[in-house]
Amino acid sequence: MSSIVSSEVSAGPEMNVTQAFLSRLEKLPDGQKVRDCIQCGMCAGVCPHGYAMDYTPRRMIAALRAGRLDDLFRSDSIWLCVACFNCSYRCPSGIPLAERLIPSLREELLSTGVGVPKELQTAFERTARYGNPFGESPKKRDAWIKEAGVKVRVLKEGDSADVLWHVGCFPSYNKANLKDTIALAKLLNVLDVDFGIMGSDEWCAGDLRCTAVGEEGLFNLLFEHNSLQLAGRSFKEVLVGDPHAYNALSREYARMGTAYRVSHYTQFLEERIPELSKLLKKKIDAKVTYHDSCCLGRKNDIYEAPRSLLEIIPGVKILEMPRNKENALCCGGGGGAMWLDSFIWERTRVPLSIQRVQEAARTGADILAVSCPLEIPRFEDAIKSSGLEGRLQVREISHMLADALGLVGGV
Amino acid sequence: MSPDSIVVIAEHLKGELSDITLEMLACGRELANASGSELICMVLADDPGPFKALPFASNKTIIVKNPVLGTFNPEAYCKVLSHMLKEMSPRIVLMGSTSVGMDLAGMLSVTLGATVVGNCTRIQIEGRKLLVTSKLYGGKLTARSEVDQGMVLCLLMTGSYSKEGGMKNEISQIDIRDSPLSLDGLRTQFRELVEPEEGDVDLTKVPVLVGAGRGVQGADNVRVLEELAGLLGGAVCATRPVVDQGWLPRTRQVGRSGVIVKPRLYLAFGISGAPEHVEGMKDSEFIVAVNTDSGAPIFEVAHYGSTLDLQDLAPVLAEKIKELKGGK
Amino acid sequence: MKVAVIIRQVPDVVEELVIAEDGRSLSEDDVMYITNELDDHALEQALILKGRHGAHVAAYGIGGSEARDALATSVAKGADEAVYVPLEFKDRGDNHKLAMHLAALLRDGGFDLILSGMQAVDEVDGSLGGILASHLSIPYMGGLLGVDLATSGGKVTVKKAYPGGRVGVMDVTSPAILGIQSSEQPPRYVPVNKVMQAKKTMQVKEMKTPVPNIAGLFITQLQKPETGARAKMLEGDEDGVASIIANLLKERGLL
Repeated sequence: MSSIVSSEVSAGPEMNVTQAFLSRLEKLPDGQKVRDCIQCGMCAGVCPHGYAMDYTPRRMIAALRAGRLDDLFRSDSIWLCVACFNCSYRCPSGIPLAERLIPSLREELLSTGVGVPKELQTAFERTARYGNPFGESPKKRDAWIKEAGVKVRVLKEGDSADVLWHVGCFPSYNKANLKDTIALAKLLNVLDVDFGIMGSDEWCAGDLRCTAVGEEGLFNLLFEHNSLQLAGRSFKEVLVGDPHAYNALSREYARMGTAYRVSHYTQFLEERIPELSKLLKKKIDAKVTYHDSCCLGRKNDIYEAPRSLLEIIPGVKILEMPRNKENALCCGGGGGAMWLDSFIWERTRVPLSIQRVQEAARTGADILAVSCPLEIPRFEDAIKSSGLEGRLQVREISHMLADALGLVGGV
Repeated sequence: MSPDSIVVIAEHLKGELSDITLEMLACGRELANASGSELICMVLADDPGPFKALPFASNKTIIVKNPVLGTFNPEAYCKVLSHMLKEMSPRIVLMGSTSVGMDLAGMLSVTLGATVVGNCTRIQIEGRKLLVTSKLYGGKLTARSEVDQGMVLCLLMTGSYSKEGGMKNEISQIDIRDSPLSLDGLRTQFRELVEPEEGDVDLTKVPVLVGAGRGVQGADNVRVLEELAGLLGGAVCATRPVVDQGWLPRTRQVGRSGVIVKPRLYLAFGISGAPEHVEGMKDSEFIVAVNTDSGAPIFEVAHYGSTLDLQDLAPVLAEKIKELKGGK
Repeated sequence: MKVAVIIRQVPDVVEELVIAEDGRSLSEDDVMYITNELDDHALEQALILKGRHGAHVAAYGIGGSEARDALATSVAKGADEAVYVPLEFKDRGDNHKLAMHLAALLRDGGFDLILSGMQAVDEVDGSLGGILASHLSIPYMGGLLGVDLATSGGKVTVKKAYPGGRVGVMDVTSPAILGIQSSEQPPRYVPVNKVMQAKKTMQVKEMKTPVPNIAGLFITQLQKPETGARAKMLEGDEDGVASIIANLLKERGLL
């Protein structure tokens, strides 16, 4: 059986370990494409942290070809990946670099006990135990509905609804995101959508910290729990507020054999633009620039829905950043990086989130609109750190829409 | 078992008496008065010098001397105390809920056939019954227990009684004696005491401390707290779990196994208030605690509190402080 | 070198602690269990000794079914042996009972060291290690931050925490029981895959001897702490609360 490991390299124990790793990698979807690498270096060029990696994806493959898996373990490069998918998107050979190669390497590191940065370890342990990375009790996952101001049905086993809303960890627990979660609940309510949530039976969808970070076992644990819970309810489609959950539920879960019709709230609401337009009550006079989240954009080609929603809001003028759509600059929070800020900042120059808000400010926009819950804390933090407070505001599209419909106060 | 007596096992380090000893004496004095018992202070040391002139509130102070008893060695202490307490047969033995008491209580309970009550905050006597209040679950629950007979070993938590109650105006009767047993051939040998590294900062000398607890969640959030500390002319300190995770060095650990501090201001962020940490900072002049859990025990020692998320509050607080300072 | 580690399951305080109707114990239905944190440190310290000196590590999991899960995690992390010691709800939190039970189980195990966490959140009758040590007539030392083999034979050097951040270095002749306060490095991570694998393949020995029937400490009441002097809670949003605090600090001359 031929392998990408060069036949000129003499077979030693290191090469066997590398070959074992490669055969595992090649079993993953499109994993075998790693053999087609032409060492062009496109990946390294488009990677936002490429300059800081001693092993860029290209060099990782080169090392693997030389049978030198161990070298990769001695480097920090593997932990600098923010799962922005630029590399996979541009690779002429279509190698799933951010989706499969890097997570597989991370998984290798985890299982050999070489170690994972402590904060990430804590996030994993908490997710495994409590179903969310914050270590909050699962019983409190739906505590937010008490403040929603609208009725939010919690579906128990045997219940049914048209739409099952998988709320997500950040939208459920993180204080900075609660107003947006409530905004979405109010939108669904005013549109008379028959929806429900799973409450404390809902666990993390797993994409963010798991498949992208290499904890495949944890992903499987979460998958088994969630798919069992979902199977106990009947619904026509799954609605998500978090693009990472979108990725997990529509792609990864399908890969594991459980397929659902999944929409991100921007797609869901885009289908209802005619109704929403009739309910508009307020103008939001602002110049708005939209940040394409990596998981919605490059990963799943969803670029127009969020923009269409912004366009219906009276008073909104949309400005595009130079790096938009498939060229968008990652906020730096993917691939577990949400927990690795200190680690990453010690090894890179300007944090990505700061670069991005500066780019947004340069367009002259007043509002940086986002569609991913992680971006709210990241960009809010970046705005403060770069002295843009008062000049630029981050807002979730759901909140802006709800505001325009007079359902929530402005920010 | 009469006349009843109450024995306090004194704790000391490098010739200095630990505060917990005085607190235990205060507790013992209360109990002795209520029950007409004799209060005895027992000191195990190599040199009786530092202790014989201390005005303990005990009726009698026994100092047992032996070179091996200089620095706490659990096996040596256990051997001596086992023998002496068997002879003395007190009703109550008070020990600190400390690295000394906690090592001894278990072992002594078996050799003496005594009941142990740990994490005690209050002890009362009602006839023959001992009523004890203890803290459990990191301070989240209180347990009341009753022991109606037999010897009881109580591990008293720091800060439960006042030190002043442990002293009186005169020196009680002192009895200095050699160890009743040979302390040769012990299986535990004390080698040396290592002072803490000359770290970056001496937490006991800083007027303002900003404490980082588990709620801080990661090394990143420590930055904001460092900014706050900087603005207030202070330093960041931490609870044990934060140090264990490596988010701050051990030199910044405040608590039972770290440093005891009494700053003018202690801002506690994401700290639950488990007894081990509270021991280290409860005497701070002014304590403000931030924790999203309204039931966190820290709010029992804090003067002011908030259940806002520290990640939201800390940066805004830094801003407000800058404003107020700038205005000066 | 043979090392035994005692791993207890204790109520998880992240969850609400619900008191049973009798007012003296926790409600069994509402308790969620988690491995006692310091026992996790004890396991880590044992694994460090395994890494350094090839020690054989036997994990003793005490409790209900969660204890079996904890054993799978221990084996996945590297423990060589897994022993399940079932302990019913009514017997938990009583270290005297547990020590007597374990003494019988561990006595003939030929262990050089027995490690356990120096404290557990649910114990009210003193540290397990000391009681167990007395039953086995071996030394006990708690509050430990580090354990290693001494340079001269048959002894173990330990680092014990003393007040003020000081560390006492002591030598102990094994066999001995060590109460761990903090392992030399934080408890290692083990991927969920490995734990799942361990669950399927590990061999667990189950101890069937009955737990001794001795009376424990008589608890008359369990309750939330009396709110005596409590903090004045500040209401409002970040802006409001931050202003109040900043002004309080100013008033006290702290700015």
